[in-house]
Amino acid sequence: MNIYLRELRANLKSLIIWSVIIILLVVIAMTKFAAYAENPEMLAILDSMPKALMDAMNMQAFNLTTLNGFLGVMFLYYALMGAIAAGMWGSGVIAKEERNKTIEFALSLSVSRTRLLTAKVLAALTLSLLFVLVTWAVTLIAIQSYHPDSSVTAFLAREMLAMAAIEVIFLAIGLLAATVSKRPKRTGAIVSAIILTLYYFSMITGLHEKLDFLKYLTPFKYFDAAELLHQGGVDPVYWALTAGIIAISLTGAYLAYNRRDLYI
Amino acid sequence: MSIIETRQLTKYYGKARGIIDVSLRVEEGEVFGFIGPNGAGKSTTIRLLLGLIFPTRGEARIFGKDAIKDGPEIRKDIGYLPSEVFYYEGMKVIDLLKYSASFYPGDHRQRMHELADIMELDLNRRIEDLSYGNKKKVGIVQGLLHSPKLLLLDEPTLGLDPLMQRKFFDLIRQENARGVTVFFSSHILGEVQRLCSRVGIIKDGRIIEISDIRTLQQNNYKRIYVAANAIPAGYFDLPGVTNLEEVNGGVRFFFKGDIDAIVEKLSALDLLDVTIEEPTLEEIFMHYYE
Repeated sequence: MNIYLRELRANLKSLIIWSVIIILLVVIAMTKFAAYAENPEMLAILDSMPKALMDAMNMQAFNLTTLNGFLGVMFLYYALMGAIAAGMWGSGVIAKEERNKTIEFALSLSVSRTRLLTAKVLAALTLSLLFVLVTWAVTLIAIQSYHPDSSVTAFLAREMLAMAAIEVIFLAIGLLAATVSKRPKRTGAIVSAIILTLYYFSMITGLHEKLDFLKYLTPFKYFDAAELLHQGGVDPVYWALTAGIIAISLTGAYLAYNRRDLYI
Repeated sequence: MSIIETRQLTKYYGKARGIIDVSLRVEEGEVFGFIGPNGAGKSTTIRLLLGLIFPTRGEARIFGKDAIKDGPEIRKDIGYLPSEVFYYEGMKVIDLLKYSASFYPGDHRQRMHELADIMELDLNRRIEDLSYGNKKKVGIVQGLLHSPKLLLLDEPTLGLDPLMQRKFFDLIRQENARGVTVFFSSHILGEVQRLCSRVGIIKDGRIIEISDIRTLQQNNYKRIYVAANAIPAGYFDLPGVTNLEEVNGGVRFFFKGDIDAIVEKLSALDLLDVTIEEPTLEEIFMHYYE
């Protein structure tokens, strides 16, 4: 409990910063949405955009003049921010102590590595879920003036579940990267690079049939906002992939951490 | 049962040498000095004992238990003071110490305040605002507050002023007097000599000597200074004589061997002055390293 609480406290500032970023994002997006909402002319403009661009931005599936369309596009940002935040927390709980060399103290105490790692994972998980709750609350408040009906709030709920799943995936990947990496100073950069590459994959996968296989490689495609909106959920195969990635990453992280030499 | 026992303990960092075949025993209640220059493998040995790194081969046992497998249990009774301490910067000293204490069963608040008073440590400051020496004081309090049975000290006096060093040594002596075993790594031989009963000397990752300090001084080498009228060149050219040098009209050398033979040799000279001393640990040490 003590390790968990210390870790939470140490990362509280970053949670606040991420929350501020989400608030700013939603505020900016809402001012744009104000121009789109119930505005048929805007729809005509969007229809005249190049199809490839709309595909890449995943905007094809949405009617941007409605709340559902707005939330569908917002999900692209939510997913990316959630992934980066969770990836940073997942790798940070391990790498930060090695960068600052406090790990020597942490592990000279009467504690096993498994217990230490578990407390850190739970702390990173808590932060990630709090971030989802903040995003959820901020979005709900922002759309209140457009009187969302139950289909909108249900769609948002599905998006938030998907955001949480994406966060846990990247938390686990970040954790694995940090426990395997021998250079704690570069772990953050490596994790960001992985996330951005996968995000890029998710943008190009719809552009060409030959790139279709990428949708299995990038978790951002597992939880496609269009499917969440129109199908009411995602294909179970993606849930299986999600569970698989998380299980493999966590197992790998525990194995690696219990064998790891701590260079100080 | 030895408090610390290592057998052929070996650690390579990739291809780089850490330590090779380190076998040693430290018995209950002793103060064991572990000496060697920077990079000889002192910290590597201690980190292996703490389970921070894993041996390439060989094993380490502490309190008769495996240092890796039973690490968390062993560490309940270990106090560790590294040469440079790193703590969570944002925390206050008091919170850091309470955090540390929370890992050990029992109530350690009284001992914590006692130690902080002795080391004149201000508990309400933030770690990040502390000087190097003050961080070290936090390290001392943190390492001792749970009344460990074994102290692992890695260059512990680095950064402490002489006054604090003395207080620290007094503390270590008190701990030792109540039965605590001390493993004291240092390259400052004067402090090892003051504190330790036995020493191990490590060079390039290998133990080259483990011995009683007294035995080391008595049986090994005498430091001899002779001043005499006309010492023939090569007069002391005999087995056991090392590090011969000429100093203001006399000669100084180390001698190891039959003391009778050297005295006979000396008495044949027209002596002006002679001293035969036990060498300091430093001189013995330098001898091993030449």
